[in-house]
Amino acid sequence: MNPRDQRLYLAFLSPVILVLLCFIIVPIASSFFASLHRIIIGLPQLGNPFVGLENYRELLRDSVARHSFWITVIFVAVTTFFELLIGLFMALLINHRFPGRGVLRACVLIPWAIPTVVSAQMWRFLFSDAYGMINYAAFGAETARYIPWLAIPGTALSAIIIADIWKTSSFAALLILAGLQVIPEELYQAAKVDGARLWGRFWHITWPLIRPALLISLLFRTIDAFRVFDLAFVMTQGGPADATNVLQLYGYKKMFVEGWMGYGTAISVCIFLIVLILSIIYVRFVGRRLLEASV
Amino acid sequence: MKSLGNKWLFFIVISLLGFGAQYSYAKEPTTLVFLTWKPNQPEVWNRLVKEFHRLNPEIRVKFQVGPHSSTQYHAIVTQRLKNKDTNVDVFFMDVIWPPEFANAGWCMDLTHRFPVQDQEKFLHGPIAANRYKGKIYGVPCYLGAGLFYFRKDLLQTYRYKPPKTWQEMVDQGRMIIGGEKEKILHIYSAQFKQYEGLVCDMLEFIWSNGGSVIDQKTGEPTLDHPDVINAISFVRDQIIGNAAPEGVINYEEPESLDLFIQGKAIFHRNWPYAWSVANNPQKSKIAGKVGVGMLPAFAGHNSASTLGGWQFGINRLSRHPQEAWQFIQYMTSHQAQKILALEAGLAPTRRSVYNDPDVQDRMPHLRAFLPAFERARPRPLSPVYPMISQELQRFFSQAIVNKGSDISKLARNASARIQKLYKLGAMIK
Amino acid sequence: MSRSFLSKTVFIFGVCLAVSFSLVPFLLFVSSAFKTQTQITSIPPQWWPDFSLKFFRSALKNYGIMHYLLNSIIVAGTTTLVTISLGAFSGYALARLKKKWAHLILMGILACAMFPQIAIAGPIWRFLQIMGWLNTYHGLVLPYVALTLPLAIWILTLFFHEIPRELESASLVDGCTRFGTFIRVVLPLSTPGLFTASILCFIYAWNEFFLALLIMTDPARQTMPVGIALFQGEHTVPWGEIAAASFITTAPLVIMVLVFQRRIVTGLSAGAIKG
Repeated sequence: MNPRDQRLYLAFLSPVILVLLCFIIVPIASSFFASLHRIIIGLPQLGNPFVGLENYRELLRDSVARHSFWITVIFVAVTTFFELLIGLFMALLINHRFPGRGVLRACVLIPWAIPTVVSAQMWRFLFSDAYGMINYAAFGAETARYIPWLAIPGTALSAIIIADIWKTSSFAALLILAGLQVIPEELYQAAKVDGARLWGRFWHITWPLIRPALLISLLFRTIDAFRVFDLAFVMTQGGPADATNVLQLYGYKKMFVEGWMGYGTAISVCIFLIVLILSIIYVRFVGRRLLEASV
Repeated sequence: MKSLGNKWLFFIVISLLGFGAQYSYAKEPTTLVFLTWKPNQPEVWNRLVKEFHRLNPEIRVKFQVGPHSSTQYHAIVTQRLKNKDTNVDVFFMDVIWPPEFANAGWCMDLTHRFPVQDQEKFLHGPIAANRYKGKIYGVPCYLGAGLFYFRKDLLQTYRYKPPKTWQEMVDQGRMIIGGEKEKILHIYSAQFKQYEGLVCDMLEFIWSNGGSVIDQKTGEPTLDHPDVINAISFVRDQIIGNAAPEGVINYEEPESLDLFIQGKAIFHRNWPYAWSVANNPQKSKIAGKVGVGMLPAFAGHNSASTLGGWQFGINRLSRHPQEAWQFIQYMTSHQAQKILALEAGLAPTRRSVYNDPDVQDRMPHLRAFLPAFERARPRPLSPVYPMISQELQRFFSQAIVNKGSDISKLARNASARIQKLYKLGAMIK
Repeated sequence: MSRSFLSKTVFIFGVCLAVSFSLVPFLLFVSSAFKTQTQITSIPPQWWPDFSLKFFRSALKNYGIMHYLLNSIIVAGTTTLVTISLGAFSGYALARLKKKWAHLILMGILACAMFPQIAIAGPIWRFLQIMGWLNTYHGLVLPYVALTLPLAIWILTLFFHEIPRELESASLVDGCTRFGTFIRVVLPLSTPGLFTASILCFIYAWNEFFLALLIMTDPARQTMPVGIALFQGEHTVPWGEIAAASFITTAPLVIMVLVFQRRIVTGLSAGAIKG
């Protein structure tokens, strides 16, 4: 690599690094710093004493935080699995050449295109126990049999999961589709000539070659799923009885509603660390090929 | 062949053009920034502000809006005030915020501008909510109190008087449903989602059983007490899933009101705004058939309602406190409160407005609300109330959602957590 | 013959499933925009609307949707342009740098995407306050750029990886600079990646709510998601207007996708390698 190229690459990278530094890296560092203090914005008389890892120790003792953690893990596991599955299915469909494919692509993108706050309201409306369409579809006009989805702890979490799967499957589909586009058509032609059937073509050609795209989808979906907030905030506010009190919502309540800035940012830092560890695991054991030069 | 330099120049020029497209605000005579939420009837507020501009040509009021959701609005206001933002002059405070804001030094002490003789012209409850440690920090704009709505046509058919006790309400409801067969589904509709409204509703049940959640003087939680536990058990067993549909666990004000105005509930608890909605034939199927009164109580106790409402506050770091005070004085004057009452349906906080002949003429129900307003009780007044509220919400929700919940144990857990909070608050005394 | 018929029916069934999965919930909600007030919350629900345009008129007139739309277009458009430009340049650099460095920087960029937004919202707000950039377009665009860069860079790096080095070597041999090669050879071949990243970036900026809420409190600058959140009055949820606004806010995105979808389709077909 000649030095002229190196300078070019550096020039290409520097604006990005600058923007990320100002708006992400410094705020993250500031949050880390804040999480090591006890900061209660409503009680400034207490000062902001340095408390080291006390916030984190408190978090481990906090039963509500532990409960939130498990709720979030369930949410992440279920949504990511289904979103990738449905996303793969939709990407395979769209990749196929057929008339009206553009329309299908636009339709599939609609859930992702709607603002999360609107889609959360929409699902709250659809799951309503009085005038919700889901109850209507299941039970017709027999309003006495309607299920109050958002009022029962178990079904409330499922409702949020369904809302998220609906919204984000298209994100996964789009990413996987981009990966599918990269696969040259000749490989399929050659396979067809060799007599390979649909499943064979999928398993031997498509599956290995879309792994990078799948990995990116998995990675970004997991990162986003751990930070779920809008759905729980709008649909249930964390209830009933904390059944949907996902970590980020708990952090939000601590930070912005109660004013526990230090403790709340400690929660965010924990989310960050969890996601970081997961990403390292993904990339290391599953996606080494992604970062190696393509052959 | 483009050189690297040209590309950067191009980039910079584009950015500058983009940034330069910002207009530069011209300097105006004293601009007051009023941070508020978007009002239900913006035309009414705009008219009031225009009139204020006419009377005070050297002041201009600029609105900045956040969402109505109390929690989101709280986030915006506290972010700005805690970062010592001097670009806010006047802001709205929910009735539960003055102690928090006063203690944190975010709102200005108004005692010398708002002396006791002026305070007495307002209703007692809202004024008390604005006081902290003997000083006053806000001026009430409008208030709310939990009111009891009922289907007066149905009560008349069955020759019932509005129920005085909760048990009476449930019994009346059962008889009516039995008589009406298909048409009515539920007896009662209210707000039991895990949010601030849950605290309001549950406090009404607890207070009407003679209980309380915090001893206001010592700060000790009094949750693990038979009065409180019995009230909560009543809600869990008789109301949720019984008199009221189980879905109320996810209801805020709009959904619970919808149930009532669709004719699916006989009795309803809500704020004063529900009156005009329930009687609006375009929105409600029961327009004209609605009665209103005080909430029922448990046998042998008095009815109780939770105080709500919003107050004006001035940013302690405001650069125009005098102008801000002029604005607040205008907005809480008899005339302005009268307009807000008549045209925006906001219950006034000045006694004189209730006695105004126009108001009595066009809004006779306001006089009916007055007793409930006079007796409305504030939620625990404390600078750490937001934290206490979270613990109470958690406690109430856990208690009423699970049928077999051990309410006493939950009460003890919640008390322990609240006690820790009070110790925190006590450190600042 | 029957196998092909079977696979065709399965395919059509799959397409119908995908379309109904995506559209039906949204249509059910948006149909509320065409109902009357009592119809929306009627119990049991009525799913066929009366086709009244009252809510659209109300949303446009009383709730000022058009100017929220304009603000959203400005913010999302600028964000996308900036992110894709920066992302393309840096993605290329990362695809061509030494593996070790590239790996490190990519992971660092990924780590930036991981931190919960609500925690960095506060520090970002303070930074903007110090710079005096609150309630300005660039005050919102720059954080959005920072938040969308990670995904854009990862997608584009993947695409640039896939471009055979021989094409670039050929161009260099022909006398082009590295930069020229990038602009003339690499970029045109990566249009699927560019457009995918653009669409995701645009949609993210279009729909972002939390930062927009904190940073823009001046109604003149507020974007669509904040605008819709503001529809909710005290204790009232104007479902009709919200549904109408959702319809209006989704339409530009759908149109955009329909227009650009062909670009996403053009893959690295044989044409590149032959030509």
